[in-house]
Amino acid sequence: MAILKPILYILVYPGLIFLMVYSTFCEWFDRKLYARMQNRIGPLHTGRSGILQPVADIIKLFAKEDIVPEKADKGMFTALPVFALAIVCTAALYLPVWHYTEAASFISFPGDLIIVVYLLSLPTLIFFLAGWHSTNYFSAIGGVRVLTMLFGYEIPLLLALLSPAVLAGSWRLVEIAAFYQNHPLLMLVNVIGFFIAVIALQAKLERVPFDIPHAETEIVGGQFTEYSGKKLAFFRLLGDIEMVVGAGLISAVFLGGFPGGLLPGLAWFILKTLFIIFLLSVLRAATSRIRIDQMISFSWRWLAPLGVLQLFIVIIIKGNMS
Amino acid sequence: MEYKVSLGPQHPALHEAVSIRMTLDGEVIRDADLKLGYSHRGIEKLAEERSYVQNIYLTERICGICSHSHTTCFTQGVEQLMELVPARRGLYIRTLIAELERVHSHLLWLGVAGQEAGFESFFMYTWRDREVVMDILEWISGNRVHYAMNIFGGVRRDIDELQKKKILDSLGLLKQRTDYYLNLAASEPTFIGRLAGVGMLSKEQAVALCAVGPTLRASGVPMDVRKDDPYAVYAEIPFEVCTADSCDVLGRAVVRVKELIQSYNMIEYLLKNLPEGPFKVKAPRKVKPNEVYSRYEAPRGENVHYIKSNGSDKPERLKVRAPTLANYPATIAMLKSGFIADIPLIFAAIDPCICCAERLVQMDNAYSGESRVLTFSQLRAMANERSTKVNTKKKDIAWPF
Amino acid sequence: MNNEAIIEKINAELKDKVQEAVAAAPRRINVKVDRKHLLAVLTFIKDQFRMSHLATITGVDLGEHFEVIYHLSNDAVTINVRILTPRLEPKIPSVCALIPGAILYERELQDMLGLVVENIPDPRRLLLCDDWPEGQYPLRKDWKFERPAEIIPGGK
Repeated sequence: MAILKPILYILVYPGLIFLMVYSTFCEWFDRKLYARMQNRIGPLHTGRSGILQPVADIIKLFAKEDIVPEKADKGMFTALPVFALAIVCTAALYLPVWHYTEAASFISFPGDLIIVVYLLSLPTLIFFLAGWHSTNYFSAIGGVRVLTMLFGYEIPLLLALLSPAVLAGSWRLVEIAAFYQNHPLLMLVNVIGFFIAVIALQAKLERVPFDIPHAETEIVGGQFTEYSGKKLAFFRLLGDIEMVVGAGLISAVFLGGFPGGLLPGLAWFILKTLFIIFLLSVLRAATSRIRIDQMISFSWRWLAPLGVLQLFIVIIIKGNMS
Repeated sequence: MEYKVSLGPQHPALHEAVSIRMTLDGEVIRDADLKLGYSHRGIEKLAEERSYVQNIYLTERICGICSHSHTTCFTQGVEQLMELVPARRGLYIRTLIAELERVHSHLLWLGVAGQEAGFESFFMYTWRDREVVMDILEWISGNRVHYAMNIFGGVRRDIDELQKKKILDSLGLLKQRTDYYLNLAASEPTFIGRLAGVGMLSKEQAVALCAVGPTLRASGVPMDVRKDDPYAVYAEIPFEVCTADSCDVLGRAVVRVKELIQSYNMIEYLLKNLPEGPFKVKAPRKVKPNEVYSRYEAPRGENVHYIKSNGSDKPERLKVRAPTLANYPATIAMLKSGFIADIPLIFAAIDPCICCAERLVQMDNAYSGESRVLTFSQLRAMANERSTKVNTKKKDIAWPF
Repeated sequence: MNNEAIIEKINAELKDKVQEAVAAAPRRINVKVDRKHLLAVLTFIKDQFRMSHLATITGVDLGEHFEVIYHLSNDAVTINVRILTPRLEPKIPSVCALIPGAILYERELQDMLGLVVENIPDPRRLLLCDDWPEGQYPLRKDWKFERPAEIIPGGK
């Protein structure tokens, strides 16, 4: 019986089934919001006001022909999407839902914040490899741009995520969330870090204004140009799940986590992640794509110094607290 | 490390098929070359075998967005050949449609520029407003594109009071929204960051390479056919030639938005001063042998038709030079030493209407001088055969195809 | 400057080079030139009347000759400079050294009418496809195109 909970945890909630279902819902939410902000309607016909549209898209992609370029390495080409999806689903397991009061275990231990950040940065390397293995010049440019962007947003993201952890005095997501549950006013100390984290998450997810790697009007599809069929479906699902996991991470670290056990925790999870996704959608609808050199100079000129500033503020306040 | 890459003929950034071949060094373009001919249709040759009235129909189909500019240019040229003075009211309506076409084309361009830059919301908004203009045009002429309003001696349809009132009301809405876009384009930092400094074309270069239209006017040269060589009723309408000094894509956007505002004022003037009387006069069927050179300011630049008649009811020679073709050498100059990310923007900044620029014969598989018809599967087999014969092993081949 | 002033000036300065200069319509002047004097006349017109905008170059097949017309404009008038070249020896000098923007129009003349433009900087084809056979010039009057009968797959 003791083994039932971990299995349910990995497979159902917050594991695979919940992630798949919830991430398609989040994609619908994002698309509908983006469309309404552009005075359009968005998905409408599949399901009640289009809520099954992302599912329909994934099913359609599964049914399409799978073409592998002639000179590409078949093994790597096929394995990369699967690896990426597996990595991101594993990262989701560390989000502090449903084990809020439990002691350290294999899914929650000191340092799991770092593990989640690390796991979330691995898909970037996989995108580069995907672009490289496509043996197509546009994909290679896309892959190179992905890594160049990584140099831009990763440091500010780390700085922003580590500041609340420093304030809370722990590297364990559950404890960070518990700290901010008990001291809600201290959430305001991390406001700068919150905004840096949201912007950096937008860059990690490669959405406008940072969708430079797979800029549609410039390099056709970037690293995804040669992917089709099931592999492309995996990459799309990866994008959605990464959005949910990223939003969950930011909520756990900045907004006080998901307390209360199973059902209240689920409600808080949905509420807080939808709030973050709302912010991401507004950012997407209101800006245009920037060039890669502008993105790097923006990150290093603004985001990174603001991250350092946030860390300073946290250190000063922590000094005053103790 | 230099790579040769071709953008096109199929690419999401291009609305029509054209091939830009570039030599790249990382993200910087070192050299560029345009390869044309993918939408070549044979209009100049076809025009020699059709009567003048049929040619109005043919020239309209040179392009969809600037269709009225081609028919008007042709019609006013032939009216000069026929020594026919068209009806005043017809001329006013012709000019009204021309300005409405300019409005719709510039709104389209704003959306396209937004889309190339990645600013999808802007694209959606401007095209939503373009629907207002398309509805007006449909009300007047019955079609959203290819209005078919011109006939020798005037126009084919009249405007009544109800249509006038509706147009004036819609103008108020469009003016308000265009002011919003002007503010947006002037103050949205990501958008300006994409457009400013991109695609520089100095004044001397623009004049030497014979650029036309907003591409030229954004480099500070005030050449506009409506002022220099007034046709229709432009000599009577008050308007200004819009220029900008920044010589880059942002300047071109600003020129187009300013032209939008000028067009709204012109449309209002035209509607308020529409003269009474017939809207067309009867035209002769045959034309004396003569030749005429007709110019028109299309939304993209100067449109030129040279028509030569030989006394029959078919023209001897029709030569069309659309504005996009004149802007191609300027585009090549702008592409060199730009970034890859700027290619769609630079290309879109000349407002390319590639089907305007290529009007000559579509060859029907005359590989050896004799023509034969191939079925699609045969064409495909030929293409596959050609691609297997290509030698991709040698490292110094730059263009395998 | 209006038409009369320009025609006077052209006749005064270029008397020996220009065969004829008339005003065809308001703001249109036709100037007939022998092809060996083309560059000199174009240079004169460009400098004297500030006509730097070459709109296009038209080629017309007149049977025995080809007529090539250079349309130059400034902000007041348009001057059409025309030269004749015999059909059996269709050579014209290139004006790209004077007006760099003329390159595409000259390539089109070479491609479609079969004129040979001497000293052209870039002699590639412009519009016709790469394996178009030599010697086929679509815009010539004697090049006819017979439409082949339409074959409908699976039909009669």
